Amino acid sequence: MTDLYLQDWRGWTPHRDAAGNTRLDTRDKPAGTAIPAMLRRRLNLIGRAVCDMLLELDPASNHVVLHASRHGDGDRTLEMLYALDDGDPLSPARFGLSVHNATIGVYSIASGNRRSQQAIAASGAEWGALMAEARGYLADGESSVLVVFGDQPVPERFAAYAPNTLAAAVALRLGLVPGADTRRLVDRSLETGPDHALLPAPQPLDIIDWLTGQQAFIRCARTHREWCWEPASDTQ
Amino acid sequence: MTTTALEHELKELIIETLELEDVTADDIDPQEPLFVEGLGLDSIDALELGLALQKRYGITLESDAESSRQHFANLKSLAALVEARRVK
Repeated sequence: MTDLYLQDWRGWTPHRDAAGNTRLDTRDKPAGTAIPAMLRRRLNLIGRAVCDMLLELDPASNHVVLHASRHGDGDRTLEMLYALDDGDPLSPARFGLSVHNATIGVYSIASGNRRSQQAIAASGAEWGALMAEARGYLADGESSVLVVFGDQPVPERFAAYAPNTLAAAVALRLGLVPGADTRRLVDRSLETGPDHALLPAPQPLDIIDWLTGQQAFIRCARTHREWCWEPASDTQ
Repeated sequence: MTTTALEHELKELIIETLELEDVTADDIDPQEPLFVEGLGLDSIDALELGLALQKRYGITLESDAESSRQHFANLKSLAALVEARRVK
């Protein structure tokens, strides 16, 4: 399988200590300063973080963007359902931003990036889906692709039906060519084991922990794959 | 120029309904355009504002684009619309 190389990354979560890592933003509210206030007002915390990170990783806004979220914006969706139940008309802004590609849509308007942009939800297999899509675009000749994964806690009303999710978003720029500052991503089959069916689905916070060296592997039972960094590399 | 109580109320309605972070009532000039130029609102804001006028004042706007453009031109014209057509 073609090797993937991590060129750079950014993360946002208020649930970790950055410990001097300038790639990780741990503020409660991401600045969102990369995009104009009139667009920023429509974004939730994940959206603000995603736009900031994408523009840092690709200032020229030239690369394909793959954006995954398992749950999307559950809060806005639920508010719309409550409004319907009350017989109230739906808020157009809320409706427009509840769709799964809303965040990258706002990013596209703000940045002028007119490349292919894809919104992915995969019932817990988001990371595997992102890697598969990234390989496809890179095999098609892209020099780099931007891979984004973000989720916020699901609304209380749905909490019993979804895994506990802490707010986090992470963006990576990937390519096929090794360079001075790249890290090779090892992607291999997850050997079937009795416990693997019980593996929790990787969340954005897991990816951040893996990037910062707090976690050795990303394992995804649904795609039967695991990812790790090439041995002997230091954590960035 | 003095701002009427209704104009002030509409400014607050716009800021709250459209979640205009960093905008205060003083930033909205009653004579300046609300859309595209001036305040810089967009078409989704127009729909959202129409909904807010319906909820707050019971005003149902006709689907005629030209009259909506006139009503939504600036805060003064919006206040005139509310004055003339409010049922609550």
